[in-house]
Amino acid sequence: MTSSTTLTNHSAPNMKSDIPPSVFTLRHTAQLEALYTIIRDKNTSRGDFIFYSDRIIRLLVEEGLNHLPVVPKVVETPTGAKYEGVRFEGKICGVSILRAGEAMEQGLREVCRSVRIGKILIQRDEETTRPKLFYSKLPQDIAQRYVLLLDPMLATGGSAMKAVEVIMEHGVPEDRIIFINLVSSPQGLRTFATRYPSLKVVTGWIDEGLNERAYIVPGLGDFGERRYCA
Amino acid sequence: MTDYLNARVRGRSESVYTETSTTVASLPSSPFPIPKAPPSALLGAQVGPKVLSNTILKSHGRPPWYGEDGQPISPAFVIGIAGGSSSGKTHVARQIVRSLGSIPTVVIISQDSFYNKLTPAKVALAFASRLDLDHPDSIDMNLFATCLSDLKNLQQTSIPVYSFTLHQRLDETKYLYGATIIIAEGIHALHGPELRELYDLKVFVQADSDLMLARRIARDTKERGRTVDGILEQYLRYVKPSYDNFVLPSSRYADIIVPGQDNAVAIELISTHIRRQLEQRSRHFRRKMAESLKRSLSKGPPRELTIEELGLTVLEQTPQLKGIYTVLRDRTSTRQDFIFFTDRLATLLVERAMEKLPYREVAVETPVGEQCKGKAIDVESLCGVTILRSGGPLEQGLQRVISDVAIGSLLVQSDSKTGEPLLFQVRLPECIRARDRAADTWIGTGAAGFMAIRVLLDHGVNPAHIIFVTFLVAHSGGVAHLRRTFPDVNIVTGAVDDGLREVWLENAERHKVFPDEDGFDHEEQHKAWVIEPGMGQIGDRYYLD
Repeated sequence: MTSSTTLTNHSAPNMKSDIPPSVFTLRHTAQLEALYTIIRDKNTSRGDFIFYSDRIIRLLVEEGLNHLPVVPKVVETPTGAKYEGVRFEGKICGVSILRAGEAMEQGLREVCRSVRIGKILIQRDEETTRPKLFYSKLPQDIAQRYVLLLDPMLATGGSAMKAVEVIMEHGVPEDRIIFINLVSSPQGLRTFATRYPSLKVVTGWIDEGLNERAYIVPGLGDFGERRYCA
Repeated sequence: MTDYLNARVRGRSESVYTETSTTVASLPSSPFPIPKAPPSALLGAQVGPKVLSNTILKSHGRPPWYGEDGQPISPAFVIGIAGGSSSGKTHVARQIVRSLGSIPTVVIISQDSFYNKLTPAKVALAFASRLDLDHPDSIDMNLFATCLSDLKNLQQTSIPVYSFTLHQRLDETKYLYGATIIIAEGIHALHGPELRELYDLKVFVQADSDLMLARRIARDTKERGRTVDGILEQYLRYVKPSYDNFVLPSSRYADIIVPGQDNAVAIELISTHIRRQLEQRSRHFRRKMAESLKRSLSKGPPRELTIEELGLTVLEQTPQLKGIYTVLRDRTSTRQDFIFFTDRLATLLVERAMEKLPYREVAVETPVGEQCKGKAIDVESLCGVTILRSGGPLEQGLQRVISDVAIGSLLVQSDSKTGEPLLFQVRLPECIRARDRAADTWIGTGAAGFMAIRVLLDHGVNPAHIIFVTFLVAHSGGVAHLRRTFPDVNIVTGAVDDGLREVWLENAERHKVFPDEDGFDHEEQHKAWVIEPGMGQIGDRYYLD
């Protein structure tokens, strides 16, 4: 890939008017941009990459959880006063798309203690060039749970849509799935949201688009590679 | 060099030990060893009574030293003690400290730490004992006065460290902060009007010349292995002229002249005087507080500030956040749950606080080969300051967000009788310059947070660089006072409660950790403000219950 000489400004991705209503992004603060700047930088060390991507993942999971229902609950505080609070409603589980999705599990566990996590391995079928399911191991009662689907990058959306297909085959309604990713492409988001309009997508940053090799640009490279090998 | 070592080396004379031990090693048992080195090289070395030159004695915690307006009310009490070398200045200083007993913080500063930086030529002279270090010019009087003045004005200061092995001031300095009483001792402690101006009490320790010489000979020969000839030569060349020309004449400025021996009565008089002065200041302090309270009452109750006027940064009240607070507020929550959700909330709070930092534009190249504009934090240094104990639960969140942050701490506890905050310990990271954050939790009146901010300001921290992070504030509570007093400090919190209620607290157990000499009544109850609905004592629920 030749490096482009023009600097692209990614500070206002929310301005993109054609983002589907089921897509939610984090508040775009200078701080969030600084976090992304670190993980985008190709010179960032693996240790820093892990640390700073974990910070973003925690924020993403926190945002994703906000789309889960809560019910009113009144508690008594240590001072004896009543507090009208809320209780988390419904059981949840995570499902990570191997292998990059696994990198998001620690962040998930820091926010949702001892949450159950299923795994799905999807790879491109060399004959059909379509994503193919190679392996899946999901919680048995997944049909009764809300599902946080974890995959750091949404490029074309092919494997994410395949994963949703698998999860729905296990009896999970579309609107009980929340897809969490760090970086997405506008076209991938559109394709995904058109196919699953009631499935909520929480993405940290919407990038410019895809290059001819279907990499997100400016992107951050291969997330799994940078997280586990680099 | 000679006498200057004698008089001022005490307590930090490891350098001198080194110098002599190499010489004396071959003749350890002889009280009058014949030195192998030129006699003059040994003359200066002498070990006096074991005294730490800069001593901080702390006992009961430091009560507020500032008024309602956040400004210091009265400066520290400064005592200058001068007198000839071997006259017993250090002994007098230590006896004063001892007889003062329960005063919170006393620091003894020795003028010996303030020898001028020496040129290489002068260092050589010093090693040959041909440098007059008894003359006032050998001491950096300006720096000495500056440090004293900083401490008197309750600011932090850095005391130089002088090495007697190298005959040079070292690059390192010693950090001092928070003394209520400062005792400055040295042969030239009363030298010069600027210096004398700083003292609230000037003491001269008077001993007869023959007594001082006798003490010097006894000590130098016995403990340092000097010859009598060498001692006398040095005495006549430097010590005696300096004493006659500078030291003794400065005694006329002393408020009190203390005999160099049998001085128990004089010391008792001095400490009685100091105690009375401090009591007067404390009465003045309380009167000033009462007056400002009366002033504010006559104006009617202060209008309640809106959240916007309070300048609070409050986390977005999402369903998850509400759920977290429900767990934390619920008195029946288990400790595991309390810890887990506290850590989770702390992470969110610190992430929010990070948004308050300045950022600058940067450009990076991504692994895909794209140039990309971005941002980076634009501060020189960043550190955390935790107000113990209730701020401790924020540290986990801090470390999840800033991997290698230096974390200082301030131990502030409420006095069980008056409820006023007491400062027990100050441990601040060296970088306390660019950005700081004070972490605190429950304190309904914000008195500990108020004190912590004052400590940071005393260290020269820009108030706009302080981000105060707290789990919960009461709308009508101390946060309003904090905001009025320190308008530039950033305050980040997760929730704002409406109520503040005065309750009786039973403190039969909790304060036994800090037993009081006066034997206060542990069963006594006291009133305190609690936030309603609140979440209880975070420190207790996180660490103990």
